Amino acid sequence: MAAVADTTTVRRVRRRITPGRALAWAVMAAIVLITLVPFYWILRTALSSNDALAAHPGDLLPVGTTTGGFERALGLQSAEEAIAQGGSGGGLRFWRYLVNSVVVSTLITVCQIFFSAMAAYAFARLRWRGREAVFGLFLAGLMVPAIFTLLPNFVLVKQLGLVDSLLGVALPTMFMTPFAVFFLRQFFMNVPREVEEAALLDGAGKVRIFFRLMLPMASTPLLTLGLLTYITAWNDYFWPLMVSYSDSSRVLTVALAIFRAQTPQTGYDWSGLMAATLIAALPMLVLFGCFARRIVGSISFTGIK
Amino acid sequence: MTIASSSPPSRLPLGDAAGAGTDRRTARRAATREERGDGWLAAVFIAPALLGFTVFLLWPTLRGVYLSFTRFNLLTPAEWVGLDNYVRMVHDPIFWDSMGVTVEYVLVNIGVQTVSALAIAVLLQRLTQSAVLRGIVLTPYLMSNVVAGIVWLWILDTQLGIGNEIIAGLGFDRIPFLADETWAVPTIALINVWRHVGYTALLLFAGLMAIPNDMYEAAKVDGASEWRMFRRITMPLLRPVLAVVLIMTVIGSFQVFDTVAVTTAGGPANATNVLQYYIYGAAFGRFQFGYASAMSVALLVVLSAITVLQYRLTRAGQSDLG
Amino acid sequence: MRTAAALTGALLLSLATGCGRGDTAGAGGNTVTYWLWDANQLPAYQACAKDFEKQNPGLKVKITQMGWGDYWTKLTASFIAGTEPDVFTDHIQKFGQFADLKVLEPLDDLGLDDTAYQPGLAANWRGQDGRRYGAPKDWDTVALFYNRKMAKEAGLSADQLNSLDWNPRDGGSFEKAIAHLTVDRNGVRGDEKGFDRHHVKVYGMATGGAGDADGQTTWSPFTASAGWHYTDKARWGTEYRYGDKTFQSVIDWYFGLAEKGYLAPFTDYTDGANPATAQVASGKAATAFDGAWMISSYYGAEGLDVGTAPTPTGPTGKRATMMNGLADSITKNARNKQGARKWVRYLASDECQRTVGRYGIVFPATPDGTAAAVAAYRKKGIDVSAFTEPVTDKKDSTTFSFPITDCAADVYALIRPAMQDVYANGAPVSGLSRTNDQINLILGQ
Repeated sequence: MAAVADTTTVRRVRRRITPGRALAWAVMAAIVLITLVPFYWILRTALSSNDALAAHPGDLLPVGTTTGGFERALGLQSAEEAIAQGGSGGGLRFWRYLVNSVVVSTLITVCQIFFSAMAAYAFARLRWRGREAVFGLFLAGLMVPAIFTLLPNFVLVKQLGLVDSLLGVALPTMFMTPFAVFFLRQFFMNVPREVEEAALLDGAGKVRIFFRLMLPMASTPLLTLGLLTYITAWNDYFWPLMVSYSDSSRVLTVALAIFRAQTPQTGYDWSGLMAATLIAALPMLVLFGCFARRIVGSISFTGIK
Repeated sequence: MTIASSSPPSRLPLGDAAGAGTDRRTARRAATREERGDGWLAAVFIAPALLGFTVFLLWPTLRGVYLSFTRFNLLTPAEWVGLDNYVRMVHDPIFWDSMGVTVEYVLVNIGVQTVSALAIAVLLQRLTQSAVLRGIVLTPYLMSNVVAGIVWLWILDTQLGIGNEIIAGLGFDRIPFLADETWAVPTIALINVWRHVGYTALLLFAGLMAIPNDMYEAAKVDGASEWRMFRRITMPLLRPVLAVVLIMTVIGSFQVFDTVAVTTAGGPANATNVLQYYIYGAAFGRFQFGYASAMSVALLVVLSAITVLQYRLTRAGQSDLG
Repeated sequence: MRTAAALTGALLLSLATGCGRGDTAGAGGNTVTYWLWDANQLPAYQACAKDFEKQNPGLKVKITQMGWGDYWTKLTASFIAGTEPDVFTDHIQKFGQFADLKVLEPLDDLGLDDTAYQPGLAANWRGQDGRRYGAPKDWDTVALFYNRKMAKEAGLSADQLNSLDWNPRDGGSFEKAIAHLTVDRNGVRGDEKGFDRHHVKVYGMATGGAGDADGQTTWSPFTASAGWHYTDKARWGTEYRYGDKTFQSVIDWYFGLAEKGYLAPFTDYTDGANPATAQVASGKAATAFDGAWMISSYYGAEGLDVGTAPTPTGPTGKRATMMNGLADSITKNARNKQGARKWVRYLASDECQRTVGRYGIVFPATPDGTAAAVAAYRKKGIDVSAFTEPVTDKKDSTTFSFPITDCAADVYALIRPAMQDVYANGAPVSGLSRTNDQINLILGQ
């Protein structure tokens, strides 16, 4: 339907700054501002002292600059010091929670991706009876809202005696998600058969083909999926809230909520709370910084099924 | 995809690359042998995923429905009570309030989010397709709901938050965003918009990328304005993607919990007592896993109904792109 | 490369499973874990623990104190996680829920004698099966604290305040006194012409919230002295009575005091930051109903000269005050049941109760313990007769207890917002009938 371009009569239209375009750019700028300013504000508050904050809430730069907030968040201050600076003396230890989050997220990501890849390969490339039926069942699982299975899963985890353990936090999502299986199956199905055939001709078994051929070939989608899974696992709150009751299994999201709930009588410890928030948010920001293009690009083809 | 039974002889791995002249019976026997042969292997490959699916998805779904017909306090065995939980639910004013709060939340959240996401996506499509901007817009999505909730709790704080400082500076009364009954739900809805709009916008952006640019060029030549192009080209062609995104976001929106838990804890006076929060309180505060399960079933039914309705209404299955 | 991956995997798995269980419950063996919430009482019980350990060599008592807000959430969480303490301070409001959950150990064989405690206390801790689940610990009643200086300025003598009466129609001498104690920012008193109820400087009565299900320190003295009780039976009732006309007319009158400007508004109240004590101590309110457990807080407030008066006489011709008692309960899954039983028996004994009494913080459950407490208060110059007389004076006073029923948590969840609605938003009291129906529906199931 494109108009035939007549090279002699078409004029090169230069993009003028029309009022419309200017407005559009203004809107875009506003959006960027609203998106990014809160992050700066976290940093600014984390580096301020609570007293100065009460006096100068509106200053753009940190006021009463101090690392007190971070010290409280990392449990490096004594109870007296903390209370003196407007904290709660509750002494949360964010190192521990950071480690817990890393363990849980890594466990979930590595296992889920691996098991889902195996299943995806079985659906895509292996021939067996009932293959489509089982896959249909998996797809049906996508229809159940995650939240519906949380309570019964908790009952199960309690009966397994895994309440308040990192394994308990990781378990429900550790094996597979229907989405991961679907996604990887799509990929495997699009791998040209010739490559596989050649390997088979050389006498390789299907298992070997999977580990030596398929997985390496799938490294890109695997990485993409891995990133998305890691982010989802890292940011989960509801399930870890239900399962963990002590420091040993507490992850960053839950710890942050507890920090917020531990407000001292005199009012919130904003400086400490923002420092803790920064610590909780930083790993994901770093991850995003390293893999931004991949993550942004992944949304286009993973989001729409 | 059809169930793969025997494949054409030329795909047999058993030597004979020439293909022709293969004995048909041998081919079929070989095919079924291959089928069965893969059977064992497939079982191994699928075992962990199948285990996970059965234990943590299928079984809980069934069990959740079962528990909704029981009285279960987690510490003693469940006892069957038939429809008691459902009767109670129907008469429970807090349940219905909660449903109302959730619906109000979804309407504000999805309404604002969809319009904003669409605006951002179109800006990204027509104004500049910079990957940097796309990355920036996505950043809040990388945070957890807890982080988002706490940041805005601070920014909107009545006494010291920068939001209220600006409002006071402009001469207005400070607004207790999260402590006031009428403001609380919209505020939480907008906080979640802040977190999710980037992701939704990029989803829509991907859908917009599928629209051939020639259409816009042609329309421009015909003298159409941006707004006209949006209404006549973008919207109709984006409809199927928009429909799917809407379904996804509505379903997610109904399940809101994290932000409420960390900012208002259902308050003030149950003004933000969304359904999932009420369910959580019933289960872990009052040890009523049976009643909580019944309410979860209700939520599931509502979500399914909405999904089906939305699917039909937006004719999401059909695409005009051909 | 492979080995590195395998090692990492092993490390992850071990971290996940190995360091799994939290160890907040204590060691079993020779330690008894005990939870309580009142920081003021901690020294008293630490003293008891020392004496106990001396009498039981080898046994140690590990006391954990947690603020009221945290206490119950942590306790219920500990039941879920399996990390519950051996012994904990129980409250009659929550007792029903724990009995429901069957997480309490019966204490019938501890050899406790009901008559050894103030009348009525021990019976409150029997479950519906008739077995004992709590060993009485202490008791408290509710009375009126007032700012003596403000009362003098208002021309109200201690005698007058000790003999107030009220009724739901015009509020009696009680409402007159409260009105007279209310002062607006122009110095006009609440019962004088030109009183500006929108700009009150000192409220006649502090607010303690909407009262939730019991109104212990808010409306209970009034509803009870009007002859109303929460449930059909004194204990383990099966029907609540929030739909009762008497109850609703009293509530209407009580929260109406706020509309008139005599009672501080709901928005002034926060459990943590601005309880009734703070309002009186800061001079924002002249009087407050509060419990005996707050005596030392009021008398210890800087710059406050406080007096106490018993609750006003109601239409029934008697005063009424809620008499509540705490008890110690043993959890069914206690790790050290033997030690727990010994500890509870000691806590309920005269010896420990006298020790606690001497600290002058609460009234222990045994008469001897009570006497020790009264003496300790007297030594500090505090007259506690407003709290103790209603218990013994059966002619002019009645006492009543918290409602004790199943599903207390559900009742709380329903009635709390309903009461807040009446108080804060002026919702009609008739709405409480609907709430009552829902409550009874749940109880009936």
